[in-house]
Amino acid sequence: MVRLNVFRWAPGEAERIRAYEVEAVADTTVLDALVAVQREQDPTLALRYACRVGMCGSCAMVVNGRERWACRTRLASLGPGPVSVRPLYHFPLLRDLVVDMTPFVERHAAVGAALAPAAQAEPYVVIPSASAERAEIDDAIECIGCGMCLSACTMVAHDRRFPGPAALNRAFTLQRDRRDAAHGARWAMLLGDDALPRCHGQGNCTDVCPMGLSPTRSIIRLRQMAVRRMVGLAAPQAGRGQ
Amino acid sequence: MTAEPRILRREWTSAEGWRGTPAGMWAWLIQRVAAILLLVVIAAHLVNPFRRGVQAALLALALLHALLGVRALLLDLGLPLRWHRALFVAALGLAATIFVAVWTWRWY
Repeated sequence: MVRLNVFRWAPGEAERIRAYEVEAVADTTVLDALVAVQREQDPTLALRYACRVGMCGSCAMVVNGRERWACRTRLASLGPGPVSVRPLYHFPLLRDLVVDMTPFVERHAAVGAALAPAAQAEPYVVIPSASAERAEIDDAIECIGCGMCLSACTMVAHDRRFPGPAALNRAFTLQRDRRDAAHGARWAMLLGDDALPRCHGQGNCTDVCPMGLSPTRSIIRLRQMAVRRMVGLAAPQAGRGQ
Repeated sequence: MTAEPRILRREWTSAEGWRGTPAGMWAWLIQRVAAILLLVVIAAHLVNPFRRGVQAALLALALLHALLGVRALLLDLGLPLRWHRALFVAALGLAATIFVAVWTWRWY
């Protein structure tokens, strides 16, 4: 039997930690255990999940103090003792383990996270997958939007205007994309007081990313690009608004 | 009137808040704490530069602060981020080694 200490809260109620005991075998995941609790012990427990196989990121939560996806975290890997389960930090709570992901989308919007195609840019696949240009962003384009990095980032807690790791990672991929026409406007935002200078390089986002992405590296690369741009060494790109 | 949304934050005053704190966070935190302590120790050193304890603290804190700064600098200059834990351990190890070497072999 494994004991789960689960964070419970609903609007109008006081938050509390509720303990549940669940049967566990070697491969039982945190998500398996939570679903078992919901089905067999407490149908009022709210949690979010979708694919159950580590693809969608919906089941992101804080397990034993670290952001993890519940469906890929085996109870056996967490060691002895009770397992603490809490919702992601820095997101508005909806109920129990379910958070409102709106801030994640808003922070993306704040960095201009949509491609702004240059007028004459070819519409599709103009960057060969084997090119150096693609290799530069290969590690950064696989974000599944789970929000774990935002939860793990301490600067997100202290500066509401800080875009956070995921949005800055996205901005990096666009600043390296020669089809994009919004580089200039994005640089103005990135070099403002609340964006690139705010990251302290703690690497918490990189440590928790379930896809193995490194937003910290993207931020460091953006800073390197900014310095090169300031001293007039920026590599020429076909994108607009350099 | 809508209620202010309930947003959880890591509670630094609780054991749960510190649970799972990763190496990069410790590196950042130790460097900042060393910086603040350096101010205090430098002031104490100026008052009386011959106190052994203050000398030891000054050396230890300066080494910690400087070597963790070098770690951050190396990462900023493009060293692969996957090395950040190893660099953290190396910085701590190097600080301890230099401290012991200097403190053992004092020439004055």
